[in-house]
Amino acid sequence: MARKAFLRAVLAATTISLVSAVTAAAKDKITIDLVNEPSMLDPHTQWNPDSYFVYRNIFDNLVTRDDAGKIVPQVAKSWKYLSDTRIEFALRDDIKFHDGTPLTAEDVVYSVKRITDPAFASPQLGQFNKIVGAEATGPATVVLTTDGPYPVLLPQLVKLSIVPKHVVEKVGKAEFNLKPVGSGPYAFADWRRGVEVTLKRNDGYWGGKAAFPTAVFRAVPDAATRLADLQAGTADLVVTLDSDQARQLDASPVAKPLIVQTERVAYFALNSTKPPLDDVRVRKAIALAIDKVGIAEGILAGGEKVVGELVAPASFGWTDGIEPFPYDPAAAKKLLAEVGAPAKVKMGLATSPVYDQKVVQAIQQMLRDVGLDVSIDMTDMATWLKNQQVPNTEAPMLTFSRWSCACQDADGIMFPLLHSSSAWSRWKTPEVDQLLEKGRSLLDEKARLQAYGAVHAYVKENVPLIPLYQAAIIYGARKGLQWTPTANESLFLARMAWKD
Amino acid sequence: MVLFVLRRIGQALIAIFGVMTLVFFVQRLTGDPTFLLVPETATRADIEAVRRSLGLDRPLLVQYLAFLADVARGDFGLSYVQRIPVTQIIASRVPFTLELAGGALLVSVGLGLPFGAAMALGRGRASTKLLTGFVFASQSMPTFWSGILFILVFAVWLGWLPPSGAGGWANLVLPSFALGLLSMATFARVMRTALLDELHKDYVRSARARGVALPRLFFRHLLRNAAIPLISVSAIEISQLLAGAVIVETVFAWPGLGALTVQSIVSRDFLVVQGIVLIGSFVTIGLNFAADILYSVVDPRIRLDGGAA
Repeated sequence: MARKAFLRAVLAATTISLVSAVTAAAKDKITIDLVNEPSMLDPHTQWNPDSYFVYRNIFDNLVTRDDAGKIVPQVAKSWKYLSDTRIEFALRDDIKFHDGTPLTAEDVVYSVKRITDPAFASPQLGQFNKIVGAEATGPATVVLTTDGPYPVLLPQLVKLSIVPKHVVEKVGKAEFNLKPVGSGPYAFADWRRGVEVTLKRNDGYWGGKAAFPTAVFRAVPDAATRLADLQAGTADLVVTLDSDQARQLDASPVAKPLIVQTERVAYFALNSTKPPLDDVRVRKAIALAIDKVGIAEGILAGGEKVVGELVAPASFGWTDGIEPFPYDPAAAKKLLAEVGAPAKVKMGLATSPVYDQKVVQAIQQMLRDVGLDVSIDMTDMATWLKNQQVPNTEAPMLTFSRWSCACQDADGIMFPLLHSSSAWSRWKTPEVDQLLEKGRSLLDEKARLQAYGAVHAYVKENVPLIPLYQAAIIYGARKGLQWTPTANESLFLARMAWKD
Repeated sequence: MVLFVLRRIGQALIAIFGVMTLVFFVQRLTGDPTFLLVPETATRADIEAVRRSLGLDRPLLVQYLAFLADVARGDFGLSYVQRIPVTQIIASRVPFTLELAGGALLVSVGLGLPFGAAMALGRGRASTKLLTGFVFASQSMPTFWSGILFILVFAVWLGWLPPSGAGGWANLVLPSFALGLLSMATFARVMRTALLDELHKDYVRSARARGVALPRLFFRHLLRNAAIPLISVSAIEISQLLAGAVIVETVFAWPGLGALTVQSIVSRDFLVVQGIVLIGSFVTIGLNFAADILYSVVDPRIRLDGGAA
């Protein structure tokens, strides 16, 4: 009996000491569970979300977005248009890279030229290829030139990290990728391959000291494990949970869900160049047959919001007033009855495991319910992407997808999906092309909004595709973590803190 | 013996060459990695530029021959995703795989052999039935479920062990059990069957009649004769532990080769997959080879001449 009591005491003591060790350590260190490890930490060489989460803390950009989504100064103190195609940035002169060297106009010019050099073959080139010139006009002034008036330059520059010219040139691309040096609030410390990346706080950061001396990003592919890490106190913040897991966290004494509506929009693409989808009545019938509210609130139930436009309220280009199609299967059936036999053609719905299959299967059933013959064509993601970027004659008839340009601007989603020059577009009319080109080239915000408003109305009228909902993401965080997640899906450590 | 070894090495080389060729072409049938490396907004020209920088624009046959030439020189190329040498990526993961395989083997052999022996020698007892039930349950639980269950009970509820990741020995315990229990059941079953076979043989009956005590009989005779099927099973189980920990590694975020394999297949990181497959085939073939040699050590009746293989 005495032995049992002793064992129990030892057990309790170990448990308490383990738990208190976790809490004590947590104050100095924040541990974040990502899905995978970063692919590379050189900010110019890849397009990978897990890398993005990490390297955005190591590097500064010319401009950034605040928590409300407004573009605000970062390396650039201010900027002004010299002409429609030339914009001058005045840079801060108090920024130092992690090796102590000051950040100058030369570094900014070097960074812009590096990522826009076609020979460098950056996957991100398409986001910056409107920039045709970068010039240091003083120690702290830079002038960027675009190939035409380009209103999306600032939203794109939010993603262009400034790298130190002297380090990259000295150590080379491969070495810089292994040991990146930036000027951000955190400096790279260590990368245990496959396990974790550790960052150390940059105590001399010009923008003020961040809350945690150390930050660790771990790779935890299984969502259930990420949740367990959070509940066990191993992780302080985890990404990508689903709504069931969020509900579990609602009841947790140690953790909480953080939900944010993003700039990502889910849509249903129609190959309107092929029968029966070349008939607007069939396209409208599909729009009426899909229960968007049912999908957003019944199936996903994670904060998604039904939209009637191909752009989220979090992005520039959103205009209030375009209502989504109502769910009206009776009206859909009526329209299809008008079309008659031609509407009964078998249509494939292209998807990949990346997309929520509950949604895809629900849409298939909804379309079958109104009498359409729809089958699901499942491929892996690489093949799915390839199949989307083919001529319209070969493209899938139906596609469920979600899109984000990580630029919070209508141009980044509407141009690729609706302009005739894009491999993703199944719509080819001069009218839409013209409006999208206006949106891409007018510097006047009002005129841009007007152009996008006209495209929204056109999309509602002609249904080249069907906007479904604004996607939400769910993070799980320790109860004491103070952080407001933003629509552009960034994890800025400097904006997080422990609440005492 | 020499002839046998030479012949087996020849066979192994042909098998490895076949595996490499197969994995090279099958992977390339499954899609183009470039699309996964660029943003959706990338233009066709961007995609082409990236494809060129990876060498994927060359004709398939040219890529294949270049690949064979590189492998012959011991060069596995640069990962498409991480742009560092494939050998470096794989080498960083091998220690974790060995640790986990070692831990799992400890669990599976350490529990499986005594359990199997107990099941054979104590047939009919209530405690044996309980043990059989446990062994069956271990084999029936899929690891993606048992893994999460272990995490929930031992990490979240009891707080005894870390739920995931790699750090110290404590991190190794749960994944070792999740992975090891599965092959523990195999070891226990094979041990039980092999012992039962032996127990019914005449030499056992006469030894018992002459008054040989069970422990002596067990360790001196039974175990040795039951070893042959156990060795065959070990070769298969160990190679599976080394190559097949995909699910356990994913559930426990354990950075071994299994997790790397899944990640690399999903991201179409062809060269990494090829490297892993090559190592996997070396290990499997090597272990089977070792098992063949061990047979002749344990049972002198098996002779390794050219015809025995």
